[in-house]
Amino acid sequence: MLVRDGRIAEDDWRLALDGDAAPGLIASLEAWRRAPDGAGVWVDGDAEADEIGEEIAAAPVVAVRFPAFADGRGLSFGSLLRTRYGFTGELRAFGEIIPDLAEYMHRCGFNAFELPDRRQAEITIACIARMSDHYQASVREPAPPFQDPVRRRDAQQDGAPH
Amino acid sequence: MYQYNAFDQRFVEERVEQYRDQTRRFLAGELTDDQFQQLRLRNGLYIQRLAPMLRIAVPYGLLTATQLRKLAAITRDYDKGYGHLSTRQNVQINWPELEAVPDILAELATVQMHCIQTSGSCIRNITTDQFAGVAADETVDPRPYCEIMRQWSTYHPEFDWLPRKFKIAVNAAEADRAATQVHDIGIRIRPGEDGAPVFDFLVGGGLGRTPVIGSVIREGLPEQHLLTYLEAILRVYNRYGRRDNKYKARIKILVRAMTPAKFRVKVDDEWALLKDGPSTLPAHEIERIKGCFAPPPYAALKDATAALAKDRLADPAFNTWMRNNVAPHKRPGYAIVTLSTKATGVPPGDVTDEQMEAVADWSERFGFGDVRISHEQNFVLPDVPQLRLRQLFRLACQQGLGQANAGLLTDMICCPGGDFCALANAKSIPVAEAIQRRFDDYDYQHDLGPIDLNISGCMNACGHHHVGNIGVLGVDKRGAEFYQISIGGNQADEASIGRILGPSFQRADVPDVIEKILGVYVDRRFEGEPFVQTVRRIGVDPFKERVYAKEAAVAG
Repeated sequence: MLVRDGRIAEDDWRLALDGDAAPGLIASLEAWRRAPDGAGVWVDGDAEADEIGEEIAAAPVVAVRFPAFADGRGLSFGSLLRTRYGFTGELRAFGEIIPDLAEYMHRCGFNAFELPDRRQAEITIACIARMSDHYQASVREPAPPFQDPVRRRDAQQDGAPH
Repeated sequence: MYQYNAFDQRFVEERVEQYRDQTRRFLAGELTDDQFQQLRLRNGLYIQRLAPMLRIAVPYGLLTATQLRKLAAITRDYDKGYGHLSTRQNVQINWPELEAVPDILAELATVQMHCIQTSGSCIRNITTDQFAGVAADETVDPRPYCEIMRQWSTYHPEFDWLPRKFKIAVNAAEADRAATQVHDIGIRIRPGEDGAPVFDFLVGGGLGRTPVIGSVIREGLPEQHLLTYLEAILRVYNRYGRRDNKYKARIKILVRAMTPAKFRVKVDDEWALLKDGPSTLPAHEIERIKGCFAPPPYAALKDATAALAKDRLADPAFNTWMRNNVAPHKRPGYAIVTLSTKATGVPPGDVTDEQMEAVADWSERFGFGDVRISHEQNFVLPDVPQLRLRQLFRLACQQGLGQANAGLLTDMICCPGGDFCALANAKSIPVAEAIQRRFDDYDYQHDLGPIDLNISGCMNACGHHHVGNIGVLGVDKRGAEFYQISIGGNQADEASIGRILGPSFQRADVPDVIEKILGVYVDRRFEGEPFVQTVRRIGVDPFKERVYAKEAAVAG
């Protein structure tokens, strides 16, 4: 089940872990290099953004595989691909994903998530939206609160418990 | 103290609901044990040998009286009426119900507290000098920078799923009371040439299975770059730290594999791209946070040396306590008091609800309502008028917090060990108690001078045994508990890792072994030479010879 841009969505792409690239397929880097037209590319979370970032930034979809749900390498990869290599296409997470990690992935620039079923997909949507703001700059919030006059002003009030 | 604003308060309240939902999903079978484990650990909840253990964050060891009273109430309402002060300056409770943890978090949120990132492979509670802001030898107040880093590390989008846990310690005084050389990142703050604070960074120190002293990779970093430089280090670690073997996953292994020089280059390359970016600290933000740590309304007192001298002469117990537990304050007429939890027969760091409430009351009567927790697992009252020290001492004695042993042999660091912890190979609390019983004469201890004795129940080294002047490590030998002894470790300036004496000992023999070690020291020391210096000068062989002489019970 695919969550894209905060909604459950039809998946118009097909993941091809092996085999050749073709339009509508998300292929391995090697396959994509041979036939990039209309194809997406998937990479592992430990891929070197500095080596391939510029090259794959042209793809319509980059899917990042998380080998274990607690493996945060894909977060750095996503962040770098967006901020340093200017990737503007769909950044998708697949592999071992639990909804609670999607919050972090989302902040690192991922906008699509492959979940095992509808229930997990619904929880993912809720998890992404749960915390209303964060302390740091991220792909989603390019300025931390202390650089943002509006959020700074709102935060000025005392923190009386609600 | 840092005061939450509306942003901070909303954050912890939303966090409570987030964790409540995670707990509910786990209990409903929607999260597996493994999945929930990662989530509960990031909330400080361990499933222990007997019951869950909840670790409550005490950022850089600072508490208000109100917060401490809330902790006392929580131990009474949700636990067995006591808590444990940890070596990361946090508070742990040992018997909460898993189902009740969301309610405990909600209670904590009412006093600006939480359990965020007190465990798990993420940036843990940042620790500092327990005398920060008041120490006579301090050059810069580290607390505002600790708070800036606390906020930065809280739910960092990229660095909350690291290869392994990540510990940062900060020191800004002449003496290093924060053990900066044995942390993943050690930060030393000092005034730069123009008087503005600058930061020196050590990386790759640590204890655990492979103890390492950190390497300096950057000196004199200006304050506005603090966060971007940290991001550069963390990004290198997150990408390249090993994830295939948890025993090789700490940053120290990466730094050693790359060499500190190459690690530094990698960090510098990354930092070149992050420098002056959005995480650069604006002056207004540094000022805002510093404003929360403005000095309290001190009275214009004078040092009370003469009056104290009279009291000390009249009351030998007070005199001993003054000598060991009272440190100089940067303001005249005030003093810093360490309230030792290390009473014989009480597990080091354990405090009852009643003791917590008493300390909260004293912090208001004899100060401005601030309390500290030291990484030596004691309470500290930072602003006590000198003329009220004797009164405080009497009250502390009535509450079992008047032990005059701060910094001495029986002021041990000790992990919870096999009595509570599922990871431990051996018990540590009974060893601590046996040592306390053997050496409970404060005059003898005072004659020995400062000795850090640190006990860990396993290789994970929560009791920091590697950097104890005397270290005791619980090991498992064919299902039986044994104890390996090392000497010559040091946590402060010129940090060093202790050397193992030889084969390990049975529990009952540990006090004898310690006594023999101390005997060699007393025989061989120069006048005024601390234990660790004697070990460095004469080496471990004389100690080995005495300890393993014929009748020693050696386990093989």
